[in-house]
Amino acid sequence: MPILLIAGKETGELLLSVRGLAWLLVLSVVLSGFGFLLVSDTELSLLDNAQVVYDMAGIITALGCLLALIVGVDTIAGERERGSLVPLLLTTVSRDGILLGKLGGVAVAWVVIYALAAPYLWAVGSTGQNLADGLLGLALLGTPVVLGFGFLGMGLGACLGTARTGLLIGLIVLVLAASPLLLGPSLRQSAVGRAFDAINPFSAAVNAYDAMIIDSLPIAAQVVNLAVTAAWFALALWFARASFHRIAR
Amino acid sequence: MRPWHIAVILTLILEAMPACAGDLSIELAPDAKNPPAPQMGDNLSFHSIIRSNGPTAVDGVIAWLSLVQIDPGREQPVDLEDWSAHKAVTAAALHTGETLEADWPLRLIQAGTYRVVVSAASRDGATLATSPFADFIVREKPVVESRRVLPVAFTIPVLIGMAMLWRR
Repeated sequence: MPILLIAGKETGELLLSVRGLAWLLVLSVVLSGFGFLLVSDTELSLLDNAQVVYDMAGIITALGCLLALIVGVDTIAGERERGSLVPLLLTTVSRDGILLGKLGGVAVAWVVIYALAAPYLWAVGSTGQNLADGLLGLALLGTPVVLGFGFLGMGLGACLGTARTGLLIGLIVLVLAASPLLLGPSLRQSAVGRAFDAINPFSAAVNAYDAMIIDSLPIAAQVVNLAVTAAWFALALWFARASFHRIAR
Repeated sequence: MRPWHIAVILTLILEAMPACAGDLSIELAPDAKNPPAPQMGDNLSFHSIIRSNGPTAVDGVIAWLSLVQIDPGREQPVDLEDWSAHKAVTAAALHTGETLEADWPLRLIQAGTYRVVVSAASRDGATLATSPFADFIVREKPVVESRRVLPVAFTIPVLIGMAMLWRR
């Protein structure tokens, strides 16, 4: 299967090479640093324990989106600059097949991030308060958001001339989307903030984390947030597909 | 009997008596199943009985729970939002001799020394009725346990570093 071969190649570059493992090391150091920060804080209450799991779920989602975006841009625009994309386009594999194969690398990287984050979530969620819900929310809502950013990166890499421009635009979009992690609740309660929240997939994910981890609401109550993240995934897939099909050999 | 003996006895008698204000009196007692040395994360329950003692019915009774922290230097009223979802009970009317009983569950969020009190007001009453205080101490419980975090935080980067060395 050519799609699996492409996915395997992408995954190998991301996870099996020394340079590829470096990002995993940095990721673990970031999560460890967050853990050390929490251990040194003696003022946190039980409520903050749920808050900690929520914060870590948001950080993991943001890191996943960042990785997916960079890999997505590099896998198209970067390969084009290195001259390895054209030979791939000349093979008999369909454009959709190539796109799916390249997404496979992003998806495997996200699975690895998730697996790496699980022990950290377990470690900081010491009381077990809604830890399982946090993991479930991260899987169900984080995954479409992260893979959507992977598609966005591929689309930008395909339709823009250089990887640098694609990365810049993608990072600006990501910073804007991830702003709910930085903005206080009061700013998000304004009319503009609420409107932004309603269409922002990252907001949908963190709002669902908030509801499930802190407020103990069931996943069934997160239908709207799930729909927003699914819509984002579909929109990003459409954008990546349309951009990739327009690449001239 | 020395004067301070009398003072102590009087204090004990006053604390044991239900507080009275207007035509309502309130008793407040911790549940017998409460843990003897509660810590953060435990649940406590308090039982209150509001009794109408006046010659006529008391209309529009509302009773609520208040919580204050009394640690030296940290004296403050506590917002019950995170501690309890059960914040008030109401009765359209309490006739003479009638009682309104309520259980007040609390989830212990923060370590410290606390007092709870149940207050009641009525539609026409001029004064507030309050229960005696019920005191309790919440023991500290580490929120983020270092014995769980530190092994994970040290081990995972080391394992990935070893994998990098092995791949080299």
